Amino acid sequence: MTAPAPAPTPTEQSSRRLRFERIPMRRIILIVLSLSIIYGVVAGSTATLRTGVFTAEDWQSLIINGLARGSVYALIAIGYTLVYGILFMINFAHGEVFMSGVYTAYFVAVAFAGNGFLNSNPLIAIAILLLVSMAVSVFVAVILERLAYRPLRGAPRLVPLITAIGASFFLQYTFRGLYGANVRAYPNIEILQGKWTIFGIQMLKTQAIVIVAAMLLWVLLYLFVARTKTGRSMRAVGEDREIASLMGINVDRTIVATFAIGGALAGAAGILYVFLFNQVIFTMGFLPGIKAFTAAVLGGIGSITGAALGGLLLGILEAVGPNLFLTGANVPSPNQLQPVIAFGILVLVLIFLPGGFVGASEEKRA
Amino acid sequence: MNPTAALKPGLIGGTVVIYLAAIGMVERFQDRNVITGVVGLGVVLILLTIAIAAYTAARKGRTPMPTGALVGLVAGGMVALITLGFEGLINAGVDVRGMFVSITPGLLETLEFGLNPALGAIVMALAGGTTGLVAGGLVGLKDEHLRSSIVFAVSMTLLISLGEPILRVTLGNLGIPTNWLYELGGLTIAGTIITLLAGFGLRWWLMGRKEKRQEIAAHMPEDTRRTWGRASLIAAILALIALPWVVGPFVSDVLGTVGLYVLLGLGLNIVVGYAGLLDLGYVAFFAVGAYAAAIFTSPASFLVTEEGETFAAAGFTNIWFAFPFVVIIAVVIGAMIGAPVLRLRGDYLAIVTLGFGEIIRTLVLSDWLAPFLGGAQGLTRIPAAPPESFDLRNPQHIYYVILAFCFVAAYISYRLADSRVGRAWAAMREDEDVAEAMGISVVRYKLLAFAMGAGVGSLGGVFFAAKIGSIFPNSFGLQVSINVLAVIILGGIGSIPGVIVGAAALVGLPELLREFGEFRLLIYGAILIAIMIFRPEGLLPNKRRQRELHEGAGSAPVELPEGASPA
Repeated sequence: MTAPAPAPTPTEQSSRRLRFERIPMRRIILIVLSLSIIYGVVAGSTATLRTGVFTAEDWQSLIINGLARGSVYALIAIGYTLVYGILFMINFAHGEVFMSGVYTAYFVAVAFAGNGFLNSNPLIAIAILLLVSMAVSVFVAVILERLAYRPLRGAPRLVPLITAIGASFFLQYTFRGLYGANVRAYPNIEILQGKWTIFGIQMLKTQAIVIVAAMLLWVLLYLFVARTKTGRSMRAVGEDREIASLMGINVDRTIVATFAIGGALAGAAGILYVFLFNQVIFTMGFLPGIKAFTAAVLGGIGSITGAALGGLLLGILEAVGPNLFLTGANVPSPNQLQPVIAFGILVLVLIFLPGGFVGASEEKRA
Repeated sequence: MNPTAALKPGLIGGTVVIYLAAIGMVERFQDRNVITGVVGLGVVLILLTIAIAAYTAARKGRTPMPTGALVGLVAGGMVALITLGFEGLINAGVDVRGMFVSITPGLLETLEFGLNPALGAIVMALAGGTTGLVAGGLVGLKDEHLRSSIVFAVSMTLLISLGEPILRVTLGNLGIPTNWLYELGGLTIAGTIITLLAGFGLRWWLMGRKEKRQEIAAHMPEDTRRTWGRASLIAAILALIALPWVVGPFVSDVLGTVGLYVLLGLGLNIVVGYAGLLDLGYVAFFAVGAYAAAIFTSPASFLVTEEGETFAAAGFTNIWFAFPFVVIIAVVIGAMIGAPVLRLRGDYLAIVTLGFGEIIRTLVLSDWLAPFLGGAQGLTRIPAAPPESFDLRNPQHIYYVILAFCFVAAYISYRLADSRVGRAWAAMREDEDVAEAMGISVVRYKLLAFAMGAGVGSLGGVFFAAKIGSIFPNSFGLQVSINVLAVIILGGIGSIPGVIVGAAALVGLPELLREFGEFRLLIYGAILIAIMIFRPEGLLPNKRRQRELHEGAGSAPVELPEGASPA
């Protein structure tokens, strides 16, 4: 669109076309869009701050809340980013991988709560829940790869995406059929109740645990990808599948390993998710899945660091955003509009910064 | 013969059967009679799975007959084992139902054919074995006439049995008694035998005349053939016009819904099929259409001022005046949504449009916009459109309106496909960079596709609103986008007959088979996966699209020049 127009010919058609090209509609719409968003955010925020409805402590707790949910998004986002880094496909069903683990672990948790094991040996119980959740998610992710995605390697790009959408619904309704359509509440774990004060900031125990656990898992993953042989083969396959296979890397096994790792992190994220939100249902994977994808794109898809940062940023924006931007604008029940913030960010990032803020430096990823 | 060859298909078949049982499909479907008093749909589902496994196994193996039987035995035996296992667990007091809600006494009863566990297991293995034997045996049958006639007779019987809700009503309307055929939602035993024989005979007769008919067709003069073509087209149109009065109000309602999906499918087909832009937020335009129509016409709308002075003063009392404006609004919104995002790569575009769809749904549901859009309460009291004798709430009336717009949309799509615009879209779809280098303004053509898709989608919304009379935000979820996507993908992306077949299969059938209800999205998901893997061009493919898809996958070349050998 920016290329200089060739010498105009006198025919009517080309002159009409040039006139059209001269008005960069797209750019005008983009500018108007960004200006109005900036105006809305700034005006809304100042209005909210002026009303003084929220104290500094409120903001603090909102940010902690955002960090906690952001940690969960970050863990799920890693699954998207790893798969995208290697296969260049959006694993739309990853949210369902996340759901499958934690939903299955629910039944273990109920059994443990029934015989008192959950509160007599909470650490062992949580470890078992975590293992069950991770194992089921890994299983689902690997089966998904084997049955749905492997036959489609090398197909046009939209084909695996459509398959993934199909798989997403298939898995949702499979679990609905298996475990029922009701919302189920996870049993309470006593040692997770209550608050801690860390660095003078009060936070729920669960929030602190979620943030620390997610960080720990992220560091483990980072070391895994950076140091181990499998990690190196993953990066090599992402770089160039054919050359990697010439170098003696088993491409199929590496791809399975990638799905398995993504699944394991999603399974762990599931347990952390119920620490925060306490409920499971067969549709629970959809929104966190899309938000995690947003986080991955926000940080720059393909980058593990980006996924973590994107997740945290998205979590904070989502927790703080509606209250900060909308309260001042007299919008009733602003938290209803949380998904709009998440999806709005997704749309804006994809429009203005499709490489994400980490990925922008690794240009060739896209 | 090698027995392990049958083991794998048998195990796969058995796993599928157990899966179907565990998600509750077998038990739910069993409520539906296929042959009343003999088999229900649940058992048919099991036997069908076994038959398919046996058929594929026998086709691969050398010795069709025993292999097929063995598959059936393995699969049946697996089911029997699992049933016994569950029985054992339940008898031992293990609470399986706490986790797997679908494993109920009713399911076990179905799997045991109402007998005791051990006997049921034997019957299951035997039934599986017999089915496998028959299915496997069919492969070995040398006589093609016989094989084809048997398959046809069985599938026709099954279809006639499943079509009971329409056929009984339709035949009743035509004054034909149906008591001999149907009983309690399924076929009677006599009806089954008659249908099987009739199906077999019909196919046998047709097969016998096949060559003769081909000969006649080949020697028919050009203008006679054209006359025949026209006559059948006119007959088809007449049939479509007469249809609602033959089938009655209930089926007409279903037809109306199918028509709406055909309309939506044609709209999405322009975006996905022609321009190659995967739009997962198509429901947004459907919602825009429905809500704009409601706002323009409903007395509950915020456009009604305090003095009772309504927008009616401007002539918007009814849908007929409102709909052109609604379409214009939708086109503008489509262009506005499209303009910023159309530069994105394909998969990103899909996710962004999904995001737009969800944003619109959230906004519609929110308290913030509730004064304008009604929030969770929706917008009600959309007034009836004149003339009074042609009430759009009547499913037999709105059917004609939807049919007419489907024709218009189909005609436009058909004419667009090979027009200058259509060729530009095809070029863009195949290679965007090359198309741009050839002087096609990619953004402009993408925008055009998006706006046209939005316009057609909003039409769907308008008539949805007119049909229902009230609209609620729940009708505009992601499922609608997925339904429409599944419709065009099943039928064949870019193919107009495909859209119609897809809508009839995916929207019409589930409406008639209410048992499908809760498994609808499960089945859609499975269809999306299966089509993408086995037949990405859909059931009724568009030729060009087919070539593109197979080119990418690197499989056999689709179009070889006549006489050229691939060697």
